[in-house]
Amino acid sequence: MNTIQTQDSLTGRERENLLRKLKQAQHDFGYVSKDMMTETAQSLGLSIGEVYGITTFYSFLSVRPLGKFVIRICKSIPCYMQNAEMIIACVADEIGIKPGETTGDGKFSFELTNCIGACDIAPAMLINHQVYGQLTPGKIAEILRGCE
Amino acid sequence: MGKITATINGTEAHVDEGTTILEAARTVGIEIPTLCHSPDLIPTGNCRVCVVEVEGTRTLVGSCHTPIANGMVIHTRSPRVLTARKATVELLMAGHTGECVTDEHTSECDLRKLADELEGGAPRFLMRKPRWYPIEAFNPYVRRDMSQCVLCRKCISACREIAKKNVYGIAYRGFAAKVIVDFDDPLTTEICRDCGICIDYCPTGALSKPTKKSEVK
Amino acid sequence: MPEKRILLKNCGRIDPKNIDTYLAQDGFKAWQKTQKEMTPDAVVAEIKASELRGRGGAGFPCGLKWELAAREESDEKFLICNADEGEVGAFKDRYLLQNDPFTLIEGIAIAAYAIGAGKCCIYLRAEYHYLLDGLKNAIAQAREKGLLDGLDIDIHEGAGAYICGEESALMDSIEGKRGEARYRPPFPPSKGLWGKPTIINNVETLSTIPHIVLNGAQWFHEIGTEKSTGTKLFSVSGDVAKPGVYELVLGSSLKELVVDICGADNIKMVQIGGATGGIVPYSMISTPLAYETVLGSGAVTVFNESRQVIDFVYRTMDFLAAESCGKCTPCREGTEAMIEILGRLATGDGRQEDIQALEDLSGTMMLSSLCGLGQAASIPVLDTLKYFRNEYETRIQQSLFLRSLRGRI
Repeated sequence: MNTIQTQDSLTGRERENLLRKLKQAQHDFGYVSKDMMTETAQSLGLSIGEVYGITTFYSFLSVRPLGKFVIRICKSIPCYMQNAEMIIACVADEIGIKPGETTGDGKFSFELTNCIGACDIAPAMLINHQVYGQLTPGKIAEILRGCE
Repeated sequence: MGKITATINGTEAHVDEGTTILEAARTVGIEIPTLCHSPDLIPTGNCRVCVVEVEGTRTLVGSCHTPIANGMVIHTRSPRVLTARKATVELLMAGHTGECVTDEHTSECDLRKLADELEGGAPRFLMRKPRWYPIEAFNPYVRRDMSQCVLCRKCISACREIAKKNVYGIAYRGFAAKVIVDFDDPLTTEICRDCGICIDYCPTGALSKPTKKSEVK
Repeated sequence: MPEKRILLKNCGRIDPKNIDTYLAQDGFKAWQKTQKEMTPDAVVAEIKASELRGRGGAGFPCGLKWELAAREESDEKFLICNADEGEVGAFKDRYLLQNDPFTLIEGIAIAAYAIGAGKCCIYLRAEYHYLLDGLKNAIAQAREKGLLDGLDIDIHEGAGAYICGEESALMDSIEGKRGEARYRPPFPPSKGLWGKPTIINNVETLSTIPHIVLNGAQWFHEIGTEKSTGTKLFSVSGDVAKPGVYELVLGSSLKELVVDICGADNIKMVQIGGATGGIVPYSMISTPLAYETVLGSGAVTVFNESRQVIDFVYRTMDFLAAESCGKCTPCREGTEAMIEILGRLATGDGRQEDIQALEDLSGTMMLSSLCGLGQAASIPVLDTLKYFRNEYETRIQQSLFLRSLRGRI
């Protein structure tokens, strides 16, 4: 009888920078394009399906183009308890789109996210990589105006 | 390699070190049901149908990937095992749609056989939206009905490890997880030719040989 | 037992951008002591004697874990610092990274020495990208001072997945895969990253190490309770006047933390340990915070009397279902089946058999799931069923009544 082969036995180390590469594409182009995934797959000897599977696994990677400013409002319990829903409604009103959408001019993408670790300053959100806390409708308007 | 002695359902098993609980059980004539396991493929341990009770462990353990150890006392049909196994199978039944009743492949469905063996009654669980995908019959060699897929991933492993083709991947996460081809595209002849190895490993009717010519578009 | 600043000692007192301010507070003294006076085995023995347990949530004895990896013969070993703090309501690692990255780096250096790891990797969650520069700067400064010779510290950023805080999923993520749980055995100390012996420790655990090395295991062991030694950071949020990070001696009461320090009143319940954490009703507010009782990662979310239990459990399950990696059946399908039930309960469409179904699902998920997420996902359900069963029953009765009005049962 054979010794059990483990699940990692087929992996080569050349994949180490895969996530970094996909994140870079996300950062540079606002999404991970099909061309990018195809190229990545070919350069690492992976199937396109595998790279697509990795891209769709992580919530900070997108296969559809996102706006210049990606707004991620935290919807987890501590923020929800501090009226995150009001903040969500307020942002939707300000930029005229619903969560999951991108504005026509490609300026804003609006997403809801799970806990971002800013519960002490709830309700909180990320715009790209900047964190904003203790949000109020007044503050939202000001922050969004500052996005240029 | 050392020898291991363990007790399975009261019977002593003597096997080589590195043998899985599942294989060890077979040597003493005890079958443990599986869905995602095949002796030809590297275990992934995802279906959790083959779980067994090992005395002294907090949770049940997957028998297809856990090496048996000296002195282990294992129960493959204890009440805890049967309850968990039944619920797991019920969840898989609840999670998918498909032509289970009318389909000609139903008789070959391992999940359905398992459900019959475990005598599940009326379903205890429901899903908000059981998986439903249109049937893909674009390929003359493989017909895909992903509504019947239970995500055992054997097709992925078989394609990669045996056919050496690596056509399939798994995308999305949680309940939305799906076995996909390229960018979640239909399986066309450009991507996959005629080896059909994945069909042999599919435990349900998700992958099959197209029977009627008219089905191939 | 009171607040005690060991881990938070430097927070606010040093400049996290300037290593000299850290060195002025005995910074890297523990690392120097390690190199000069201790063999790797001696360090492992010291940590074992301190009985420090993992601060990330699972509470595994740290010294024992190190010993397992140290014993392994391998050409290569890895140390991973888990900075993927995704647990709902947890932000203490963020606080340490923001205010005192140097203690962490010192802890990493000591841990790597003890287990013989040449390469370290800090897995930082994508949501904390804004901490990256500070962390890089701290490493660069330590390197410039010649404190990290022969040690490779790499920062690997996540890409948004709660499950990657689970150690096996974290390793898969570093390996450039979907962050899915692996089955164990093999355990990471024997076969981890790239199949090599690997130790994965939380930010807080590693930040505790220099204090133990410098002051001795005995000193550390005298703090806390018998099975929970030392102090612990708590991230407090929810219905409290003063949310924030607090450090308490283990064994301190929950009441002391949330009422006396954070100013909560009218408490209904407290969840401890994040989304999969246990629930403590107000009647048990004197519960000591320790591994023997309830602790997890130290995320403490306080709910006052105005909060609805069903609403809370539904949202929690919604989170867990969205973050389930999708690999194993009980978690992937079980969390979804729970949402179906809890969603109906939340909207007033409950059924008599719902409670039984929740209990059946909980049992299976706990016993059969591949990793901690699925195994612990049902804890908030089971705990609220234990302490607030009446809210479930009332909701079902209301649902039945509403349906009878509409002429269907």
